[in-house]
Amino acid sequence: MSALSAPLGAFLFESLHILGGMGILSGRILKDLFLGRFYLRLVVEQVYIIGMKSLPLILITATSIGMVMSLQFGLGLEKFGGKMYVPKLVTATILREMGPVFTSLMLAARVGAGIASEIGSMVVTQQIDAIRALGTSPIKKIVIPRVLACLITLPLLVGITNFVATLGGLVIGTTELNLDANFYYLKVLSTAGISDYVSGIGKSLFFALFISIPACYYGLNVKNGTKEVGSATTKAVVVASILILVGDFFLSKLFWVVERWV
Amino acid sequence: MIEVSDFKKSFGSKQVHKGVSFYVKTGECLGLIGGSGAGKSVILRSLIGLERPDSGKIVIDGTEVTALKERDLVEIRKKVAYVFQGGALFDSMTVFENLAYPLREHTKLSESEIRRKILHQLEEFGLGGNENLLPASLSGGMQKRVGLARAMMMSPEVVLYDEPTAGLDPYNTKKIQEHILDLKRRGVTSILVTHDMPTAFAVCDKLAILLNGRIEAQGTMEQLEKDSKGLIAKFINGEAA
Repeated sequence: MSALSAPLGAFLFESLHILGGMGILSGRILKDLFLGRFYLRLVVEQVYIIGMKSLPLILITATSIGMVMSLQFGLGLEKFGGKMYVPKLVTATILREMGPVFTSLMLAARVGAGIASEIGSMVVTQQIDAIRALGTSPIKKIVIPRVLACLITLPLLVGITNFVATLGGLVIGTTELNLDANFYYLKVLSTAGISDYVSGIGKSLFFALFISIPACYYGLNVKNGTKEVGSATTKAVVVASILILVGDFFLSKLFWVVERWV
Repeated sequence: MIEVSDFKKSFGSKQVHKGVSFYVKTGECLGLIGGSGAGKSVILRSLIGLERPDSGKIVIDGTEVTALKERDLVEIRKKVAYVFQGGALFDSMTVFENLAYPLREHTKLSESEIRRKILHQLEEFGLGGNENLLPASLSGGMQKRVGLARAMMMSPEVVLYDEPTAGLDPYNTKKIQEHILDLKRRGVTSILVTHDMPTAFAVCDKLAILLNGRIEAQGTMEQLEKDSKGLIAKFINGEAA
């Protein structure tokens, strides 16, 4: 029993330590966001790096999701004569789940890793210390622009994923499942409600925080030289992915409750 | 001008500083020497609040640095410059942008004035024509000189040097020494952490040795020259660490 409880205790302690650290960082971000100078140029620069440079990856992922889902739903439902439900199912799943989740996971891998390793390297080479020594704040200069850029770009990227994935589904629906393109298009329009968009885009705002805050936290907490930059990067991606996947359930539930209430 | 009293700091269970006390008068240059891992850089970093002591007091120009919050340290950091061992240049910025950084942050100078100041500073440090290069394109010596030039952009009253000549060739070492001496002539107060004894003797007014977590000995350069059997003399001769 004690052989099991020791690692479990260490795991719980470590988890609380990380959550506490991220909580403190979030508090400092909120505080610094409204105090003193705001670096708009740095935010715009990060929007370009995070958003524009992620676009090819997002387009490939989105096309693939839409096509695979359309094909799989089509093959499965064909046996029961339910092929005409493919557009409805694909659209609802993409807008509510696959769009935000896959886009966020892709961004966690590309951007989360990039942020953690960049900040970690800046810590190792004393650039973060230099920012402080020159009378400026790493939270304002480094962290806030990246967090805001994620908050701005992720919903936009999710929107692009939704569109491209739906288009991918339509292509497979018409070419492989022999559905009429007009029928598919009309079904997409009649299925997609405002609540689907709100749920998907709303989730992506939370996912943006799940990606950027752990990445900044692990980057800033690199302590033992370049060796730790790699492990900080890995941890940032793992934690972001877990938060996205676990958070997705609770956020789906939350939006579902809100929808029923509204 | 700078007063450190009863500075204590531990890392994990290891107490590195057991009550360090010293002072530096205005315009003076103190050389802080001691073995590797003695905690010299930690003291230097604590002087501008990059580290926090467990206990003790640091006072610069009448302001208790140890009592200030991160946000309130900005004013101290404007007048106390820190020269990092490796330069700590922002590697995504050119030499020009590195030097412009403190000016853009803390002054209302126009871009043309900033440009004029930087080009003049680069000439002064023998770095003219390198303003558009990225730090990765510079040699180690040049990076250190750019780091020094950046630290000087706000015309600080105090400069803290963390091993500014470590790993440099004699030419670059001499250049750095000349810059430190030039700043001294202008009345800048400084603390030099170094293992480079010729540089310490060339630029410092007094030396203090950090040993076993305390300042075990200190004295002016004249006193040290006379006291050939003292602790600092032994350290310099490699008889104490």
